[in-house]
Amino acid sequence: MKYVQLFSGVLVLALLTACKPTGSIKVGFIGPLTGDAATFGTDTLHGVQLKIEEVNAAGGIGGRMIELVAEDGRCAGGDAANAAQKLVAVDKVVVIVGGDCSGETLAAAPIAEAGGVVMISPLSSSPDVAQAGDFIFRDYPNDLLKAKAVAQFFAEEGISKVAIITENVDFTVAFRDALKKDVPEGALVFDEVVDPGTKDYRSLMTRLQDMEFDAFFANGTSTATIGAMMQQLREQGFTQTAMTHDAGQDKSVIDIGGEAVAGLYAINVPSVNEDSPFGQKVAERFGGTQAGMAFVSHSYDAMGVLAEAMQAVGTEGTAIRDYLYNLSSYSGIVGNFSFDENGDVIGIPLVLWQVQSGAYVKVKDIAVN
Amino acid sequence: MQLLINGLIAGSLAALIAAGLALVYGVLGVFNLALGQIVLVGGYATWWFCQVAGLPLFLGIPAGLVTGGLVAWLTFILFVKPFYKHHRFLPLVTTIALSMILDGLILLLFQERPRSILPGMKETMLLFGGRVSSEQLVLIAFTLVILFGFAYLFHSTAVGRRIRAVVQHDHAAMSLGINAPSLHTLIFVLSGVFAAAGGIFIGIDQNLTPTLAFPITIKAYAAIIAGGKGNFWGAIVCAYLIALLEQVVVGIHWFGVFYIPAGYQQTVALLFIIVFLLLKPTGIFGSVSRSA
Amino acid sequence: MDFILHIIIRASFVLFVVAGYNVVFGKGKILHFGQEAQDIVVAYMIWVLVMRFGFPLGVALLAGVLAAVLSAALFTWLSLRLEPDGFGVMSIAVHLACLSVVLNWQSVTRGALGIPRIPRAPFPSSLGEFALFTSILLVAWLLVLWKLDRGRFGRQLTALAGHEWHAASLGIDRRKVHFLAFLLSGIGVVFAATLFPAYLFLLTPSDYHFSAMIFYVMCTVAGGPGHVWGVAIATFAIVFLREGLRFVSLPPDVLGPMQLILFGLILLIAVWLRRDTIFPKQRMV
Repeated sequence: MKYVQLFSGVLVLALLTACKPTGSIKVGFIGPLTGDAATFGTDTLHGVQLKIEEVNAAGGIGGRMIELVAEDGRCAGGDAANAAQKLVAVDKVVVIVGGDCSGETLAAAPIAEAGGVVMISPLSSSPDVAQAGDFIFRDYPNDLLKAKAVAQFFAEEGISKVAIITENVDFTVAFRDALKKDVPEGALVFDEVVDPGTKDYRSLMTRLQDMEFDAFFANGTSTATIGAMMQQLREQGFTQTAMTHDAGQDKSVIDIGGEAVAGLYAINVPSVNEDSPFGQKVAERFGGTQAGMAFVSHSYDAMGVLAEAMQAVGTEGTAIRDYLYNLSSYSGIVGNFSFDENGDVIGIPLVLWQVQSGAYVKVKDIAVN
Repeated sequence: MQLLINGLIAGSLAALIAAGLALVYGVLGVFNLALGQIVLVGGYATWWFCQVAGLPLFLGIPAGLVTGGLVAWLTFILFVKPFYKHHRFLPLVTTIALSMILDGLILLLFQERPRSILPGMKETMLLFGGRVSSEQLVLIAFTLVILFGFAYLFHSTAVGRRIRAVVQHDHAAMSLGINAPSLHTLIFVLSGVFAAAGGIFIGIDQNLTPTLAFPITIKAYAAIIAGGKGNFWGAIVCAYLIALLEQVVVGIHWFGVFYIPAGYQQTVALLFIIVFLLLKPTGIFGSVSRSA
Repeated sequence: MDFILHIIIRASFVLFVVAGYNVVFGKGKILHFGQEAQDIVVAYMIWVLVMRFGFPLGVALLAGVLAAVLSAALFTWLSLRLEPDGFGVMSIAVHLACLSVVLNWQSVTRGALGIPRIPRAPFPSSLGEFALFTSILLVAWLLVLWKLDRGRFGRQLTALAGHEWHAASLGIDRRKVHFLAFLLSGIGVVFAATLFPAYLFLLTPSDYHFSAMIFYVMCTVAGGPGHVWGVAIATFAIVFLREGLRFVSLPPDVLGPMQLILFGLILLIAVWLRRDTIFPKQRMV
């Protein structure tokens, strides 16, 4: 009896809140708003929100305002599928920005595909997403590109022996696999994968004492783990060059690491420093980032290219899809990009950053051949 | 040597949390699945007092401890006491509900990004061949002080005697005029203080993130089971043991031939406990008591 | 309508496992927190064989059943050797160990990336058909469990849970009964492990974290441990509640945390309301 009451209570709530104003264009968002990956979910959500606010302030799309329906994917396949099902079948969204974790994207993809709804993932880097469907795109570069850039950097700097610690999450594992293929055979002299969320690497690093290596790559998934890695590395007395990727490029890694991260390199997309105009917009609206400016930028651009598509061809799924495939170039915060035949993004340049005097500074562009 | 030091650091952290859990579990037989969240509350509270409100560390830490104790008190009053007299499994579910609520509140109040109570790099010194920073030494010393302080309380004061009586037999203690229910509350609050101390430890030595609670809770429970249910010191010793095991597992070149992959670090330690328990089910220090 | 069918299907997957878990935890009062371990082992056994090694589904299913039997045997052995509370914590350790193996044995399981593009069988094809198929299987499974519950096995399990020594002195074999209990939960898992990844077209370790275990515990306790139909209703109610919370209008910035808080509050209230009846108190002399 209690369950009937409970259920009907929720149903009433649902019916009350389901009466939404007509005429608005609904856009869906799927991302981990709680759980271990919540930093990414929040940042990507903010990017979408920022873009929507700007578009609405400029008059919307053909006079219609954009309305955001956000869903928590919890970085799990099942939850993301529920979210996608709701967005497509109940909210009838026109497009979706999401998921963040590859599991989310891969689970939501078949549902979006079946519903003819275009979905752009701002963060999924797993190679499997390329074959996830016709309507599925991503504006986050495949790890292959980043790995090539890093391998190139190592070659240029004469770094032949690399120690790398990877967190066991799809994002970072895919990167490590790609890196392994791109560096010369045997260059990864120390290649360990730790449980996600581990923050005590001290004993693992004792093994590095007996080892010869030129550089260390902090392949963590968050500023928390990357910061801890760097702190412990430097405290143990290692002075080798250290490098990380976009997950480590955020103010909080400098806040946590202090001098431990001085000189830390990071490979990332351009225009993600705090004092760029976009960075200041984010600081003003949201008080800063949780995971990194890059992630806000990717979702901001994903929403941006979708808004442009909707302005041009309307809200019909196949029309938007075709527009994206035929797009020659979109000028976004992360660079000028377009999509290949799999829906993967091409054209995003990579930049080498370094922590100097307590802030990330651009060192040079990295052109990947 | 470095492994030993690492074991001491990680062990002290685990011991603090296990101590808190052992008190509650040993006395009340109640599972507090929200303990990990109380760890976080203590850590984040100290962070807030030190980094946001600007208090110096020696004031921020007691403030954090008090906050942890307060939250534990609320937990007891609202989520445990009304339920455990019906059945001791009920607090299991209510503390699960509480852990969700606390998780949500922590996210709302402190956001997702990591926080550090003492940010920056710490100066390390060479001690018998291993590197350790002065903060870490202070933390280890602090832990030992707390634990020994509690030992003194437990064994040599009147209050401690009453607590021990309640641990051994609740009803018998009450029949002797000991106010068991208020001691229950005291024990729960103490467990919160211990847990908060653990959180402060993490906040200083590593950094605080909203989801670090769970693996710690599991290790704490494993330490308690291995140490013998109801045995406070058994739990502490086992906490240090598990922590040392974890360091040794990844640090040592086994038989000069292979390294255990780092991903199995926590697993091996836990499996070791399972195997051990198979041999001695009552735990290292547990005694087999006759139950009719 | 599609969404409701989808949620019904998802709730059914959960219930396949929870109904079996209810036998172990609810009726048998065995403090078991390692149910996810069986989930992981059976699911990966089946789909690794099909997707990575090309075995036909029938063979993989048999292997899955074998995995269920072996994991049941393992748990039985552990539960007999360890003290009840010890088993509770150690079953979590088993779960974490299995998860660890899946994450680290990348050559076989693809680790954190998961196994994508799992094909769905030609029948059932549409959402409606899938829902019907799953529901029929589910009801059949529940009926089987209910019959067992009412029969000799149920009585033996209750006796053991109530008072172990007395039951043993009456000739009830603890080993056999516990093994059957774990086996039942394993078979429930086989259903779920076959259907869920095929429905999702995906198998990833992220669906098998401890949060799923907590969900099982909630469903069992809320429905009245040991009661087949009570737990069935509770499972559907809780799954619908959780997904229903998606419809509560919340600003996106606080959406995630607020849903967590609301869910925790509702659970707390539910337990508070049923605190007298969930675990009936035994008469004590």
